[in-house]
Amino acid sequence: MPSLDSLLSRRQLLRVGAVSTAVSMSGWMGRLAAAAEDAKKKPKRSCVLLWMNGGPSTIDLWDLKVGHENGGPYKEIEAAPGLMIGEHLPKIARHGDRLAVLRGMSTKEGDHGRGTYLMRTGQLPGAAGIQYPSVGALVSKELGDPAAELPNFISIAPQRFFSQEAFGPGFLGPVHAPLVVGENQNFNNPNGNGIDDALKVADLERPRAIDEATAAARLDLLRGMQEDFAAGRPGPVARSHAAAYDRAVRLMKSEGGKVFDLTTEKAETRDKYGRNLFGQGCLLARRLVEKGVPFVEVTLGNWDTHGNNFELVKNLCGTLDAAWGALMDDLKDRGLLDTTTVVWMGEFGRTPKINQGRGRDHYPNAWSTVLAGGGIKGGQAVGKTSKDGTTVEERPTATRDMLATLCLALGIDYEKTNPSNVGRPIRIVDKPCDPVTEVVA
Amino acid sequence: MSAFIRAAVALAALAAPATAAEPAPAPKPKADPADAIAALIDRHLAADWAARGVRPADPAGDAEFVRRVYLDLVGRAPKVAETRAFLDDPSPNKRAALVDRLMTLPGYAGHLAAVTRAAWLPQTMTNQFANAGFQFENWLRTRFRDNTPADEVVRRILTIRFTVNAQNRQFRFVQPADPTDPEAATLVGFYQANEARAENLGSAASRLFVGVKLECAQCHDHPFAPYTREQFWEFAAFFAELNETTAPRPGAVGPPAPPRPGLKNTLGIPNTDKTVEARFFDGTSPEWTADRSPRQELADWLTRRDNPFFAKNMANRMWAHFFGFGIQDPVDEPGADNPPSHPQLLEDLGRAFAAAGFDNRALIRGITRSKAYGLSSKLTHPSQADPRRFARMSLKGLTPAQLFDSLVAATGHREPGYMRDYRFGFNAQPDNPRSQFLTRFATNERVTEASTTILQALMLMNGRFVTDVTSIEKGEVLGAIADVPGWSTEQRVSALFLAAFARGPAPEELEVFASYVDRGGATGDKKKALADVFWVLLNSPEFLFNH
Repeated sequence: MPSLDSLLSRRQLLRVGAVSTAVSMSGWMGRLAAAAEDAKKKPKRSCVLLWMNGGPSTIDLWDLKVGHENGGPYKEIEAAPGLMIGEHLPKIARHGDRLAVLRGMSTKEGDHGRGTYLMRTGQLPGAAGIQYPSVGALVSKELGDPAAELPNFISIAPQRFFSQEAFGPGFLGPVHAPLVVGENQNFNNPNGNGIDDALKVADLERPRAIDEATAAARLDLLRGMQEDFAAGRPGPVARSHAAAYDRAVRLMKSEGGKVFDLTTEKAETRDKYGRNLFGQGCLLARRLVEKGVPFVEVTLGNWDTHGNNFELVKNLCGTLDAAWGALMDDLKDRGLLDTTTVVWMGEFGRTPKINQGRGRDHYPNAWSTVLAGGGIKGGQAVGKTSKDGTTVEERPTATRDMLATLCLALGIDYEKTNPSNVGRPIRIVDKPCDPVTEVVA
Repeated sequence: MSAFIRAAVALAALAAPATAAEPAPAPKPKADPADAIAALIDRHLAADWAARGVRPADPAGDAEFVRRVYLDLVGRAPKVAETRAFLDDPSPNKRAALVDRLMTLPGYAGHLAAVTRAAWLPQTMTNQFANAGFQFENWLRTRFRDNTPADEVVRRILTIRFTVNAQNRQFRFVQPADPTDPEAATLVGFYQANEARAENLGSAASRLFVGVKLECAQCHDHPFAPYTREQFWEFAAFFAELNETTAPRPGAVGPPAPPRPGLKNTLGIPNTDKTVEARFFDGTSPEWTADRSPRQELADWLTRRDNPFFAKNMANRMWAHFFGFGIQDPVDEPGADNPPSHPQLLEDLGRAFAAAGFDNRALIRGITRSKAYGLSSKLTHPSQADPRRFARMSLKGLTPAQLFDSLVAATGHREPGYMRDYRFGFNAQPDNPRSQFLTRFATNERVTEASTTILQALMLMNGRFVTDVTSIEKGEVLGAIADVPGWSTEQRVSALFLAAFARGPAPEELEVFASYVDRGGATGDKKKALADVFWVLLNSPEFLFNH
């Protein structure tokens, strides 16, 4: 007769391992104390992904073609000796010595959904039924502390409609699912006080009519019901329920939840980041990195500039420049820039040729992404596109090359494997991949 | 006050906690295809269990069964009165009778249509094609209401007549060829949601109706199965007419290209010089004639009684709906490295389904009468752990609509009709709790791997809706149970269990919860303590999952 364990799939075993700390005897309070101890130990590595939804016009930001008919009206400014970038990013340019621009990006997908999935997982969607994890979940697993009071993957203002699954934990399981705040599903960004509310964790506060003692009594009874039910029903469904409640309660009880309250920041700090969802999202990202969260992403959307590209990109640059510039300032001032790697990317770039409506269309063939801060040798651009921007002439860089480079910067072994939902082990970054070691510090 | 009386009447008959009773076998006098189906399932699984030394789980009690079958068939847990009526029914045939009755309720067509839409057009759950999906779901509702045979459903989808405008390179536009044909006007959404591309429709038809996922072979030969790139494009070529520009569209630039003459049964493989002719999956080709379109030929081939794929695939998909796992699982990835768990059962089930005229209700009646469907979800022996032996019922997550409808049923929440009709999994509206639940719980995970997120847990613990329905002042069922005159604490606690779990409490549970209420919980207030109990039950996995 096979034993229970031998019948559980590897994936299930993985989950058992990950969750067992969460449902052990010690109870929530014990784990809280343990988490606090752990947090003191060592400098944490963090990653902030600035996700440019819609496909950013990188030819107007990082790899200008001044003087060529594909170049458009923008001028260049110097970010570091020999590193020229678009004129609408002056605050980011001040940190040019920490920026590495990958100008040889050449990827395979020009569709929003497929491109999003590819850039965020390193995989093509729908291949062989494997549910690939997003880069945030992979980093959460490698760098996250399972007992931390805050989740290890936090997604700020995501727009997941292009590819819901590109944001998920895939076969790594629900423990590595993102905590989402400020989800934006309708292109209508909140403003004013709406931003503060949007960036809070929904329903984090106990209902007013329920006092603390009652809440504790309820949770005590609930835990009994959870344990009784799960005892006879092993499997991911009941385990995930227990894990989610456990983490939710931890978040409610801890000081950690206060990190989402931006009203405690000085007005001038908030102004510096920009009083918009992305700006305040970057401020929140800085606060989360300070708390040791290993992966935070902030989405800036509306990059799909098929028409009127130059007006739109200039406006978007204003938002991007203020927020990212302030984030770099603050990370540097706090001594966190050496342990925090910032990644800037979208699902693809845009056509060098300017279309009839002064717009640019989808273009994965030759474009740029940016790595900055911790683990990155800044002040340089690696890779080169042709004069007209249509092809990569030096150091062609595929999605996996870029993701592997990010892993090196974060100190993650990208060749390590995780068991997948189909049982086959899958590398953190799959083969073939050739990291851009020139930019790794 | 009327709500109080209504609930009180419903609850008044409440007696001792229900105990699990072994249902008597339910013989039918005449040959019922459902009985034959149930018998063949039982026979194959019993043989498999014996051969592998598997000891199946205990039979589910009436309480476990009634909740399960309501969730699977009408998409929500039963209300107190419905549970009570079933538990109190002494008839030996009551399980089969309940299945028959549930399939006549509007909730049956609504739930099956929603589940089918989500499986067949998952891309319509969150993005720009939501409206196409909504219309397609409405069409499916009528199909399930009328019990349209499965072959007829697929034939109608595949053979509508349409025209395509592809002048905008970014967006092909499918229109019914006859604008007065309402069915075609709805079903063009199926094509539109697949971006009106031959290769997407080929993938969809292969995945959904043949039960073979071919997408990988789109760009290269399938890595794990013996399907070639050429086979993929040959199958896609049945939809080659989508690549024609055959109709003008208001506002389009320039005149439409004149249609190519002749049959549209060939398709070029992108980035090659090669053009392939439509060919079935088994390597055969139809006898092409001018008056029959490639899609008609495809529909005919698929739904022929001797087609080796269709009946098995459709029966397997229905099986997966009830068990959470297909006999072939994933349902669209057969192959040497992923054989069906019970090949002969799958063969026979497909054959029986075809012989019953692809009658969905006969198949459902058969599956739900099987011994395996009537097993408990509680694991009592290690040999039951592998879900693909079907030796215990798998735990399944609820769809967002199942969850919200079950909350409504359990709490007595009264929902305005316009809210009840809300079906989109995005765009939460401030004062519409259904929209908030559908958005927060939207998922594309398979039901047996349903995960709970932190935000979902927070919403169930602290959100306004659950807070309201678990307050004495606003909760309809809770308020009624708290106010029934003359009841003991035990009776009130039992009633809450019945409302949330469709069962009474076990003696230990009754002891724990009744003593909690009697001492007034944490605040010394017995009514508030009763509210605490209800909150605990609604947050429990036993409420939140189908088991």
